[in-house]
Amino acid sequence: MSGLSLQHIKKVYPNGYEAVQDFNLDIEDKEFIIFVGPSGCGKSTTLRMIAGLEEISSGDLYIDGKRMNDVEPKDRDIAMVFQSYALYPHMTVRENMAFSLKIKKTPKDEIDKAVNEAAKILDLEELMDRKPKALSGGQRQRVAMGRAIVRHPKVFLMDEPLSNLDAKLRGQMRVEISKLHQRLGATIIYVTHDQTEAMTLGTRIVVMSKGKVEQIDTPQNLYNYPINMFVAGFIGSPQMNFLNATVCVDGNDTYLQLGEEKIYIPERKAKVLKEKDYVGKEVVLGIRPEDIYTDEESVQKYSKSSIHSEIRVYELLGAEVCLHFDYQNKVMTARVEADTPYRNGDEIAFAFDPEKIHIFDKDTEVTITN
Amino acid sequence: MAQKKKKNKNNDSAAVNSKLIRKPIERCFLLFLAPTLAAFTIGFIYPFLKGFYLSFCKFQTTSNAEFIGIGNYINALHDASFVHAFWYTALYAVVSLLLINIIAFIIAYFLTQGIKGANIFRTVFFMPNLIGGIVLGYIWSMIFNGILSRYGTSILMETKFGFWGLIILMCWQQIGYMMIIYIAGLQSVPQDMMEAAKIDGASRLQTLIHITIPNVMPSITICMFLSLTNAFKLFDQNLALTGGQPFQFNPDGSVVKTTEMLALNIYNTFYGQNTMARGTAQAKAVIFFVLVAVISVAQLTATRKKEVQQ
Repeated sequence: MSGLSLQHIKKVYPNGYEAVQDFNLDIEDKEFIIFVGPSGCGKSTTLRMIAGLEEISSGDLYIDGKRMNDVEPKDRDIAMVFQSYALYPHMTVRENMAFSLKIKKTPKDEIDKAVNEAAKILDLEELMDRKPKALSGGQRQRVAMGRAIVRHPKVFLMDEPLSNLDAKLRGQMRVEISKLHQRLGATIIYVTHDQTEAMTLGTRIVVMSKGKVEQIDTPQNLYNYPINMFVAGFIGSPQMNFLNATVCVDGNDTYLQLGEEKIYIPERKAKVLKEKDYVGKEVVLGIRPEDIYTDEESVQKYSKSSIHSEIRVYELLGAEVCLHFDYQNKVMTARVEADTPYRNGDEIAFAFDPEKIHIFDKDTEVTITN
Repeated sequence: MAQKKKKNKNNDSAAVNSKLIRKPIERCFLLFLAPTLAAFTIGFIYPFLKGFYLSFCKFQTTSNAEFIGIGNYINALHDASFVHAFWYTALYAVVSLLLINIIAFIIAYFLTQGIKGANIFRTVFFMPNLIGGIVLGYIWSMIFNGILSRYGTSILMETKFGFWGLIILMCWQQIGYMMIIYIAGLQSVPQDMMEAAKIDGASRLQTLIHITIPNVMPSITICMFLSLTNAFKLFDQNLALTGGQPFQFNPDGSVVKTTEMLALNIYNTFYGQNTMARGTAQAKAVIFFVLVAVISVAQLTATRKKEVQQ
């Protein structure tokens, strides 16, 4: 078992800046945890505190039930993959991978066995006698992984390991890391600012902002049930559209008034709004680009939850099209089928799937109903 | 052929602007080269070749030289003072090379560990380098004589005093300079590489030996080159500190200045009382040049091999 527990972890720098505020997380064995958030949100600092490279200002860190706050990095039984890979340039791939075992004075045959095994897993066998400068970005990345694997650590820590690779290679390596997780059955904590990486790799995602944990959940839940506007906006690409609206009731129907247009909302969501006393109040409506439809059938189906606007930008992405339009002085995006007949300048109806509408409190930005 | 033409055309269209400028420059490149070439020829190539020629001549003034073959070289190699100066300089070079570089590296290492007031220390350690060699020599001779007078002796009384005095003086002067180069080298070692070593389980000493030193090899190369060539070329401090004293009078009538280094020996031979020995001094200078060049190239080759690219 390689469980990990962070309890009330805080990082305060000498100048008083709180980089991480009250971080709480229990990680089960073999979990793939992602720390995601914008630059400066404290995700790397948290990872570095787990690694022992950064002192924990307050709170407790437990690995396998043992308090690790004051334990040296080498004694925490962790391995880390750095953003820059941090390979030793004067050593060959083999020496890079064997370094930690050599330091531990592991017998040579055991070192060779571990290194060769890792090289096989990562398909590095042909490159073992090369130095890092003679490797491509992807190969260096694999060596960095190999260096971590040979140690058979309890926890793998990865600090934006793919961010120096080009988009295509990043996609490939994502798959490789996923396979590696399954194969090794290891606990992995992975830091990224790329929400696609977060969604595709993680078993659970920790969304962070300004040193605070915003939400911890599975990728699916984060996507479908964001806890607030920050999470809703951060997860998903293109990001969720937000519109200011007023909650109105007309007989049995509850709708959101958007200027002159109305979006009728389903009974389930209406009930929550009424219960929480939002009738007559301003809220924020959130709708993901893929939940906005322009095809005739959908527009008819969702005629009571449609708005009208002119297409500003038609953006063909290949399999789909992004239609950008203005509404309430905001740029909105709808992601529709590639065969859409609409182009720039067309004035059309954009139908919202009412079940997929998210409603947030305007002041606290907390979700009222998903 | 057609393909070549097409390629040229592409190049032309891409580089039309630069070509407009490049062509006239190419046409009159000599005009641009001439000032530097003239200065280099007058200031370096001509004196160097002339000096080389004069080492095969008997002369008192350079305009009145008489070719005598390799006689000057034979005289130089039979000169006990020159041979002594060579071994003395070599010993000095080895000791100063080791001491200056080891101490400079240690200071640089500690000053890059984030200690308070590191910048002040850096400045203070560097300052001796700003003082001229002659001045330093006289200052230190006063200091040494002040201390040694308590024991009824002086720096000029014993060879070993002169030797270690010069070592102390040069360490004092050069450590700060080398330290700056080592600091630059140490600061260029990526921080995450050090952190990776920490996670890999390396202790501070293991990190220093296995990670830091291999990564500062370019700084080690340049510092060793500088201290080695400085040691061989040392003149001012040697002249001001001991001037070669104490002297040793040999039974054959020759005099060996026991703390005289190669550069000072050449100078003394050339400007000494025996004006007929100028050709010998010239031959010594050529031998000196070859020696310094060979040693520095050998050192550069040896340490460059150990350098790594990030």
